[in-house]
Amino acid sequence: MWARALGVLAGVWLMAAPAVLGYGGAARVSDLIVGPIAASASIIAVSEVTRSFRWATLPLGGWIVVAPWLLGAPGAARVSGLVTGALLMGVALVRGRLRERFGGGWTGLWRRGDA
Amino acid sequence: MTPPGWSYNPSSWSERLPLIGLATIGFGIAGYLALVQLGTIGRAWEPFFGRGSETILHSGVSRLLPVPDAALGAAGYLLDAVSGGIGGQGRWRTQPWVVVLFGIAVGPLGAVSLLLVILQPVLFHAWCTLCLASALVSLLMIGPAMDELLASLQVLVRERRAGRSVWRAFWGGVE
Repeated sequence: MWARALGVLAGVWLMAAPAVLGYGGAARVSDLIVGPIAASASIIAVSEVTRSFRWATLPLGGWIVVAPWLLGAPGAARVSGLVTGALLMGVALVRGRLRERFGGGWTGLWRRGDA
Repeated sequence: MTPPGWSYNPSSWSERLPLIGLATIGFGIAGYLALVQLGTIGRAWEPFFGRGSETILHSGVSRLLPVPDAALGAAGYLLDAVSGGIGGQGRWRTQPWVVVLFGIAVGPLGAVSLLLVILQPVLFHAWCTLCLASALVSLLMIGPAMDELLASLQVLVRERRAGRSVWRAFWGGVE
């Protein structure tokens, strides 16, 4: 749960960062698109049945780490991207507790044999 | 009522009523925004972003279709609420078509409306409080609605593997 909350916070920060740190252009557009998608994936991943949505923040975080360099953002944006992106990649790896059972789950729909 | 191999019943009212409640809230917000776009209400409530709501609600993109885009959102929430309310607590098994309709309305359709809201600050350099609130409502519904969809899809897959008609199970349910 804390991992999902951190994912949401990181996403919301990306939405605010261009205004707070004062950068525009491609770096701003990148953060304004990736931020809400990362936050949304983290919220959807709160539900156990859709916990696998947490994996979305792994590539998104990777992009956020390198994007400020590729898109020519100022120094503050690079530090922010490094921290926020690493955080997004990190929380993707945290599965969290699963209490419920869902028969064969989603993979059971195309894979035979289990439950 | 609990699907085989599950620890709870995803079609129980305790699972579905919160979703129907969220859809109703979403319908209220989107309906209000549609009235703003139609001009019935002069100006949207906007506590944070100044003229942001005006900019977004009266943008060129919002007028691409013959109806205001918020009206489409309201219709989507209505579909969520209605398809969330139809059927009893065994509907994952007795009415898979309703559950699949509900799942598509909340999942893919909800995700599309979410993406459209995401594009607003990029395209217009403006934010709109109630648009964000509506997007949040759509978002909160997605995860909790998907368990019921999974249970119904599992029914259909079981029927197919048993060599029975998926078509009949989809419309008529299974024992």
